[in-house]
Amino acid sequence: MSLLLLIPLLPLIGFLINGIGFRKIPKTLVGLIGAGTVVASFACVLFLFLNFDGQPRVEKVYDWITVGNLNLSFSFQLDQLSLLFMLIITGVGSLIHLYSIGYMKHDEGFGKFFAFLNLFIFFMLLLVMGSNYVILFIGWEGVGLCSYLLIGFWNKNANYGDAARKAFIMNRIGDLGYLLAVFLILTNFGSVEFTDVFRQAAGLKAGNSTILWITLLLFVGAMGKSAQIPLYTWLPDAMAGPTPVSALIHAATMVTAGIYMIVRSNLLYTLAPVTLEVVGWIGLATALLGASIGLFQNDIKKILAYSTVSQLGYMFMGLGVAAYTPAAFHVMTHAFFKALLFLGAGSVIHAMSNEQDIRNMGGLRKALPITFLTFLIGTIAIAGIPPFAGFFSKDEILLHVFEHNKLMWGIGVFTSMLTSFYMFRLLFLVFFGNFRGTHEQQHHLHESPLTMTLPLMALALLSAIGGFFNVPEVLGGGAKLANFLAPLFAAAQNVRPEAFAMAELSHSTELALMIGSVAVAMIGLAAAYVIFISRKTVPVGEGQEHGLQKVIYHKYYVDELYDAVFVRPVNALSVFFHQVIDFLLIDLLVEGVGKFVKGLSKEFRLAQTGATGFYIFAMVIGIAALLAWSLRGLILG
Amino acid sequence: MLSIISLSLFGILNLFLGFLKSRRVLLPATLLFIALAFAANLLDWNHQYVYFRDMLRTNNLFINFSSIILLTTFLTVAISRSFGTDEEHTHPAEYYAIMLFSVVGALMMVGFENLIMLFIGLEILSVSLYVLTGSDKRSLRSNEAALKYFLMGSFATGIFLFGIALVYGATGSFNLSAIGSYVSGGPTTGISPLLYVGLLFILAGMLFKVSAAPFHFWTPDVYDGAPTLFTAFMSTVVKTAGFAALYRLLTVSFTGVYGLWWQVLTGVTVLTLLVGNITAVYQSSVKRMLAYSSVSHAGYLLIAVAAKTPQSPSAILFYSLAYSIATITGFAVLILVAEQKPIEGRPDERYEAFNGLAKRNPLLAFSLAVSMVSLAGIPLTAGFWGKFFVFSTAVDRGMTNMGMVLVVAVLMSVVGVYYYFRVIIASYLKTGDSEPIGIRPLYRFILVLTTALTIGLGLFPDVVRQLF
Repeated sequence: MSLLLLIPLLPLIGFLINGIGFRKIPKTLVGLIGAGTVVASFACVLFLFLNFDGQPRVEKVYDWITVGNLNLSFSFQLDQLSLLFMLIITGVGSLIHLYSIGYMKHDEGFGKFFAFLNLFIFFMLLLVMGSNYVILFIGWEGVGLCSYLLIGFWNKNANYGDAARKAFIMNRIGDLGYLLAVFLILTNFGSVEFTDVFRQAAGLKAGNSTILWITLLLFVGAMGKSAQIPLYTWLPDAMAGPTPVSALIHAATMVTAGIYMIVRSNLLYTLAPVTLEVVGWIGLATALLGASIGLFQNDIKKILAYSTVSQLGYMFMGLGVAAYTPAAFHVMTHAFFKALLFLGAGSVIHAMSNEQDIRNMGGLRKALPITFLTFLIGTIAIAGIPPFAGFFSKDEILLHVFEHNKLMWGIGVFTSMLTSFYMFRLLFLVFFGNFRGTHEQQHHLHESPLTMTLPLMALALLSAIGGFFNVPEVLGGGAKLANFLAPLFAAAQNVRPEAFAMAELSHSTELALMIGSVAVAMIGLAAAYVIFISRKTVPVGEGQEHGLQKVIYHKYYVDELYDAVFVRPVNALSVFFHQVIDFLLIDLLVEGVGKFVKGLSKEFRLAQTGATGFYIFAMVIGIAALLAWSLRGLILG
Repeated sequence: MLSIISLSLFGILNLFLGFLKSRRVLLPATLLFIALAFAANLLDWNHQYVYFRDMLRTNNLFINFSSIILLTTFLTVAISRSFGTDEEHTHPAEYYAIMLFSVVGALMMVGFENLIMLFIGLEILSVSLYVLTGSDKRSLRSNEAALKYFLMGSFATGIFLFGIALVYGATGSFNLSAIGSYVSGGPTTGISPLLYVGLLFILAGMLFKVSAAPFHFWTPDVYDGAPTLFTAFMSTVVKTAGFAALYRLLTVSFTGVYGLWWQVLTGVTVLTLLVGNITAVYQSSVKRMLAYSSVSHAGYLLIAVAAKTPQSPSAILFYSLAYSIATITGFAVLILVAEQKPIEGRPDERYEAFNGLAKRNPLLAFSLAVSMVSLAGIPLTAGFWGKFFVFSTAVDRGMTNMGMVLVVAVLMSVVGVYYYFRVIIASYLKTGDSEPIGIRPLYRFILVLTTALTIGLGLFPDVVRQLF
């Protein structure tokens, strides 16, 4: 069996074992199987990566559907992009599995949890490995399902169930867009294989209206999965799931599926400048919106969730200006530091006996030194302060944006300041100052076990040095990642070189921009320091916010807006259909037909008299009728 | 051919086994005999043989049909238990022997090359069944059913034989190919009217055997009165053999007058579908419902015969297989459920007897549900593909010819859902107060097997389609 096949197969096997036997298998073994399969999968990926010769290849597993002209094969594609994502998924995934062994130790659904996590890894791998849009879609739907299962993992809490459903429904809306796009691709290109589609599309002109529709609809799918305006509201609610889930699914991997898909379809997007513009602006708006809501949240995971929304916005902004490599780069660094931050938050929550409100924390750095240090690294990384990972990737996106549109760049930099501010606000409120929780909580404070801190340390290391994978030339780096990924964009560069053309920025401008963005991040840091350390401010309690702060705290009332505009009218319509159309029209019709048949049956039944004489008589009549009717020609001459 | 000979011998052997003190050897022995015949049957795969001076012909179609018949027989024998409450007056060895003999008749009907062989096969099958129907000697119902079946069967045989005589009169031959060349070659004087009348009489006789309306009247009464095990046997084996014979006869000998018999068959099909399905709705006994269901399935099978496309044999084969397996499952569950709480000494075959079955015997309820769903023709079961293939033959033939039949068939499938699902609803949604039923391992194995086959063929119909 090929190694490539083994990669998704291993987590699937783990899922099957744990999923079927989770009641019987002891916890240690469950953890071993769950984490072991993903680690083994990671090892396979690593092996493939080290032996990768730069030549993309497609490996067919079997012919899946063959109907008429449609021929769908179940096959995997191995190239730079899928390798990058496979590394992130299995690498970060392994760490999070390891972490979960400690984090979920006391949970009664331990086995089920690991089964779901493994299933998620399997689907995510399908998503990035599939060689056509349909396999991608299987993974796409599969991760949606796992996300649903894991958000509602503690399903005894009704709110969590609602959150899970919200995530599912929002994603379904996006999925519809994606599906329509696939149908369009199929009708226009007669195939859904990436290689076929892109080869044909390369012959088209930029601005082609079909491509425009395809890319827009694909982007609708990405909006759902990657939480962009207007389909972002599910992501913050998704924090109802256990924290490792938030780290793995709602920060590091699944939500980046939209970005993967667009990078994968970069040729199509390059051919649709209008879509790119839309993607860019929506990304920017999402980045700003997420960051601004993050300013005033008090739930440690909610802050991180909005920060995820905001960072995803950054990535889309990057995609919008055809900065595909920086976007993919940011996916990678973001996976490191956001997983780290979430896992750190999990460690804090674990120590605080499930307390998530940062107003009740404070001064935790003494009790949780490892968590504090790693969290600090994560915060610096996300804030974009060199030389940590976030700086390099974010800065590269901003650089491309600057090229493209100065206004966009301005707002982007402003958002970057907000990011720095709310992240340091979080850090200061949690780890500095005095402890504000109950005595009982203070008594319980403890550093997490090694299975939890080890992944933290590994991720902290990656967050610290992750940026060096792609150091720009101006800083004397080799831009390794960019070179590695370059073949992916060769075709797109060929059809529309101007989209990629960087007016040669002088190194001094480039440096100036970098210094500017670092300065802005420092301003955010300073502001947070002044407010939360010097003045020891603590956010006000529930319901005491004023003015703009109140609006932002309530997330701009978007949930309420959606409820009024979409949910309630649909409910009303549903009631109408149920009570009027269903009762008066359909039921009447259906029951009428039923009654008619039953009545007929009652009559037919009477023919069965039980008298043999009658039966034979009926047969004779029947034969006579057959004869007369069939031979009417002969009889009548 | 080996299967016919071996089964005849095995039947006689079975009679001798009846002299043994212990009856326990009978069931395994019979199963072994059928399995051996099945294996012997497969030996001729991909060979064409003609036997006894053009009396019988074996080819792959023969093997396919006879395999289905043997499989069905195997399943039926496997679910046989005691025969009636009165041990002393039952003769299992003879019943098994008669069943084997009747299968010999059925196989002759599948492989005949000469009208005489068809007639002999039909008679061997029918006479055996008259006896089996009346095998529950002390039951008035069984006796009445046997007598009715015999009377009407004789009548139909008479007409059938008369038809053969007329065809012989017109063509001067009993041989299928000879008749065929007469019909299609066309004598210079034109086809004799005797042939038309003869064909219609033969048709009437055959349609009687497969219980198509208006020759179906015996079916509900006989099926209802016969011991349930033999009802299961009749409704499957006779149907498969009957359709194999009908298709063979019509396509080999009478292709030349397709215009004539096509009209007759479509008319009969529509009538059969209507009568079978609609009357089934009002039944209160599951056994009677299954009897009418058997009538209605004859209607669906007739579609494939009337369409007469190259795909027809494969459609008939698949349909027969799906129908036989599902019907046997249905009857198998019925036997167990009905015997649990007899009313006035008679098995309780009403729908109510199934109430709460899912709670007390999940396996029984599930196999029953799967078989009913398959009979109703719902996807993921074999029955769906059976209907699908049959309907496709009609579509291939053309909507102008078969459109009307198709519309009726589809509508009647919907009616079918109603009465099939009543059993499922009773067993899953209603509550009953009975105790769980004990099931023997072999019986349980057969239920699991048939259920798995129904679902398996529903998922991968191509597995057997390649053979057909």
